[in-house]
Amino acid sequence: MSQDATNLGADEALIKPLHRVSLKLTLLVGILVLLVVNMFIVFARQVGLGLGVTGMNHPVTWGFYIVNFVFFIGISHAGTLISAILRLSQAEWRRPITRMAEVITVIVLAIGGVHPIIDLGRPDRVLNVFTSGRLQSPLLWDVTAISAYFMASTVYLFLPLIPDIAILRDRGGKLRPLYEFLSWGYVGTDRQKRVLENGMTVMMIIVIPIAVSVHTVISYIFAMTVQPGWHSTIFGPYFVVGAIFSGIAALLIVMICFRTAFHLEDYLKPIHFSYLGKLLLIMSLLWFYFTFSEYLTAIYGNEPHEMHIVMYKFTGAYAPFFWGMVVTNFVIPVALLSSPKTRTIPSIMIASISVVIGMWLERLNIVVPSLANPRLPTDTGFYIPTFTEWSLFAGAVALFALGFIVFSKLFPLISVWEMREGESHGVKEVTDRVKSYLPGGGTQAKAQTADSGKASEK
Amino acid sequence: MRHKAIFVFQVLSMMGIWVFVLGISAWVIRLIRVANQLKDAETASVAISLVAIPVFLTGASVLTYVFVGLQRGAKKN
Repeated sequence: MSQDATNLGADEALIKPLHRVSLKLTLLVGILVLLVVNMFIVFARQVGLGLGVTGMNHPVTWGFYIVNFVFFIGISHAGTLISAILRLSQAEWRRPITRMAEVITVIVLAIGGVHPIIDLGRPDRVLNVFTSGRLQSPLLWDVTAISAYFMASTVYLFLPLIPDIAILRDRGGKLRPLYEFLSWGYVGTDRQKRVLENGMTVMMIIVIPIAVSVHTVISYIFAMTVQPGWHSTIFGPYFVVGAIFSGIAALLIVMICFRTAFHLEDYLKPIHFSYLGKLLLIMSLLWFYFTFSEYLTAIYGNEPHEMHIVMYKFTGAYAPFFWGMVVTNFVIPVALLSSPKTRTIPSIMIASISVVIGMWLERLNIVVPSLANPRLPTDTGFYIPTFTEWSLFAGAVALFALGFIVFSKLFPLISVWEMREGESHGVKEVTDRVKSYLPGGGTQAKAQTADSGKASEK
Repeated sequence: MRHKAIFVFQVLSMMGIWVFVLGISAWVIRLIRVANQLKDAETASVAISLVAIPVFLTGASVLTYVFVGLQRGAKKN
């Protein structure tokens, strides 16, 4: 790459986080490492002593691990889906957001995908999936769908990363061999740019249906059973909506943290937060609509088993979690994000944290109450997570944060080449596009482009 | 020498990706055969496989296309 390509000028700020290590960050990493180490120790203890150390029992045989599995896979939808939609629709404001969104997907997907193995109690038995697995089980649909989504998301993260890796390679340093290996010989020729763009286009098209289908398949592990509270035809879209909802919230939290930590106010501007905040508000309303439909159908049907679960959530043992979910997923975000006056970055942060908590509560409300109230004539079950489950949950969240920090120390979290592309010809492209939308604008814009081309030739 | 070594590693990683993808595809096809033999949920098995296998193959194909394209593009330069 040319000297000009590696000299980033003002965009040097995007590379700075790779080298800057503050005391606060070191402390944070230390705490996160401790949580992760604790997670491994507690997990080793669980493997040794069995699932008896958890709060899971009969009939509540799924607890935090499956709740977290669905929750993390849901969060993963933020990234690739949002990034692909914004890229395909050529939304110019996407440029500083897409990379972060894609990283969230890959890290969270890897963490979430491991949770069913933790839930096995005997993790070595996961190999039975390969030797004795049968596609008749929706659990195996999950294995297939998640691995396919992971593959597609990783490729989709990697391809737009190549030009930035090439910049880092040409700047030298200790990690140069790694960057050389990952840059695949990219030097920024026209042919290389075209090839990369073709590859990215294919991936952004296929990744959207994959993302939607994956979370639909996740919902099938519940919906395909005849368990009251789970056997619902709208579970697929309900899960997809919830996933996108929690994903946007997680993305906003990461963006705000990263902006504050590395002073990227010039790149992550209030307008980005305002747009995503509006999207969060829309998703909140959509989530409420789905929740309302789901419960209205159950109440109107008045089927005794179904009603037992509904009342267990409305007024029974799970009422605090159910109404907590409604407040955090609907009341707080709608109150904070509806008015432009309150749609500020701190409010968006509060709303996003509220939604992440609310969506976790939603997963808890789906998994536990149905298991605690089976059709069989048994006593109502009870589930109280133990230190083991809490430790593994905290460890998983810490692992996500740690993974994100490690990534930010290896690669830019805001796409450098996309920002530069936006600065160099994004404005002109948008101007031409807007002109082409207007009456007679297509020909006018074309003529103007041709004129400017002739002028530059002269 | 270092460039050659890195290139060899890149080619090996591409081959690794194909081994992984073809392995997964073979495993999924085996699962369809099991479903067929047991006459149990064959349509669901085929439906899941029809989505999964092309995704893996497309992912690996796109990576190969970009890898080869970038190498050729660099040489042309």
